[in-house]
Amino acid sequence: MRKTFIAENPSVLWFLAALGLFTLVVTVLSEWVGTGLIPTSFVKTLGKTLCLCLIAIAMDVVWGYCGILSLGHFAFFGIGGYAIGMWLMYARTESIVLESFGSQVIPPTQQEISDAIGNQIFGVVGSSEFPAIWAFADNLYLQLLMIVLVPGLLALVFGWLAFRSRVTGVYLSILTQAMTLALSLYLFQNDSGLRGNNGLSGLQNIPGFETAPQSAVSLVFFWASAFALAAGYVFFAWAVSGKMGSVIKGIRDNEARVRFLGYRVESYKLFIFTVTAVVSGIAGALYYPQAGIINPGEIAPIASIYLAVWVAIGGRGRLYGAVIGAAFVSLLSSWFTGGGAPAINLGFYTIQWTDWWLVLLGLSFVAVTLFFPKGIGGLFDYLVRKP
Amino acid sequence: MNSTLLEVSGLTVSFDGFRAINNLSVQFEETGLRAIIGPNGAGKTTFMDIVTGKTRPDEGRVIWGERNISLLGMSESDIAMQGIGRKFQKPTVFEAQTVRQNLAMALKNPRSPMAVLMHRRTARNGARIEKIAEETGLADALTRVAGELSHGQKQWLEIGMLLAQDPRLLLVDEPAAGMTVEEREKTTDILKKAAQTCSVVVVEHDMEFVRRLECKVTVLHEGSVLAEGSLDHVTSNQSVIDVYLGRAHA
Repeated sequence: MRKTFIAENPSVLWFLAALGLFTLVVTVLSEWVGTGLIPTSFVKTLGKTLCLCLIAIAMDVVWGYCGILSLGHFAFFGIGGYAIGMWLMYARTESIVLESFGSQVIPPTQQEISDAIGNQIFGVVGSSEFPAIWAFADNLYLQLLMIVLVPGLLALVFGWLAFRSRVTGVYLSILTQAMTLALSLYLFQNDSGLRGNNGLSGLQNIPGFETAPQSAVSLVFFWASAFALAAGYVFFAWAVSGKMGSVIKGIRDNEARVRFLGYRVESYKLFIFTVTAVVSGIAGALYYPQAGIINPGEIAPIASIYLAVWVAIGGRGRLYGAVIGAAFVSLLSSWFTGGGAPAINLGFYTIQWTDWWLVLLGLSFVAVTLFFPKGIGGLFDYLVRKP
Repeated sequence: MNSTLLEVSGLTVSFDGFRAINNLSVQFEETGLRAIIGPNGAGKTTFMDIVTGKTRPDEGRVIWGERNISLLGMSESDIAMQGIGRKFQKPTVFEAQTVRQNLAMALKNPRSPMAVLMHRRTARNGARIEKIAEETGLADALTRVAGELSHGQKQWLEIGMLLAQDPRLLLVDEPAAGMTVEEREKTTDILKKAAQTCSVVVVEHDMEFVRRLECKVTVLHEGSVLAEGSLDHVTSNQSVIDVYLGRAHA
């Protein structure tokens, strides 16, 4: 009598098929293994978009399913990026430093090497000392652990404080905004230990693969992003398909009822908040090597608000809606703001899309919220006949 | 032997100086029905709020079970896990989910996030859900979305969700409100049946419905017990008549 997970959730199979096909097409058209129709820079854009889709499904679970309007998930995304960026920058600088020392007759001491790396990395902020948070930067595995550990712990502590005090609704949203703003302002300081507003750069160069062309690096990261999105999608689809989905949707719709059924609502919120924060961290760790640079501006409050807008436009409460929203709006956004969209001359005024894109986005957001609360994903309801 | 399941004594709670509950003492046995009646503002809902952990009293004790545990200071979810189920005045079911999902969520099973994440359907749980659906007249509606149910069906679903928790005490707030005559009869049957295995406390305005329940009645007034006994006994009590029929009569 029990149907399998896939049989009950055919949309998962459709999604995986679509993602697989998309990955195949991009691979075939890429510069590295294919025809080269898609330039490497666009492969990177598409790979980054997949990472944004991944954080969007995390956002959909926390907001669309559990009803927590977090406006701070980009903080976790950024932390994931910083965590991988520290290793990338350290390891690359180390190899450059060692190379420059290589010609010397007297081999340099460990201290000299360390000082030289410190000078290279922290020279821009007038320092050469390694801050304590870089303690593990020389170890890839520990730093990979940080990608999940730091966002997870921050979410756990923040969530525990907020949910335990039963902060809900718009107050919680404001708190999460404050969290990401505080983190961003802190990182802007030169003595934060993460190079202030310079951020971490050169992340597109992968230590150990210096000879590999960017066309290859970009495609590998694209694959990794596609795989992470697929894995994240299956995991969240599985999690929300069962009783967990029932409970968190119950929390979204009527928190008190769930509580009187004997569920510790706070534990569930904390669980969902933390798991989605970890996934956001992973998405960020895949995103920033493709972007090449991360700075504190990336985790400004507005980024997390965009995230909510993507999910709302795509259709919250359905995972593929979040993917569609994130992909559609972020690609459209880079087209409009990147000068791709032609300016419209009205005779008395010329609409420059770099200026007016945000207005258009804002209007679309209002329109979707008012007239199509199910978002773009809601269109699929017309395709699927009700049983 | 029907020993005491819940004992409330000396309970007092004030909101901004208004005493919603005033030195209230009342006891409930392990099985059987009890109706609580009283005019608006008599403290019926506040009493339920205190027992279920939603409101903290200023004074008094709420003692539960044979091990005499105090419920004060426990969270709503912990109190629910002790076996106290609460039905709200307005039917509160999860309207976006099916009847089966609603009942599955309420079934007595481990409630921690990890246990729930790993939870998969079992035949045993399925049978329990079907049995409860049968008892509450929702056997044909299991796959329907709860939001589509009629008002009466939603009320039964909520009662079914309480039964699914294997409760020892059911607190039921105005179950008959807005129901047709047939629906009321059926609700009475469901509650009477439940009262064979657990303690059922019904808060109700409607005297006709209370009469149908054929049970002991507690009359609340201004936050304390005014009278207690059979319906005929309390309705012949002069102070109850004064409270219910108003000052014109007095």
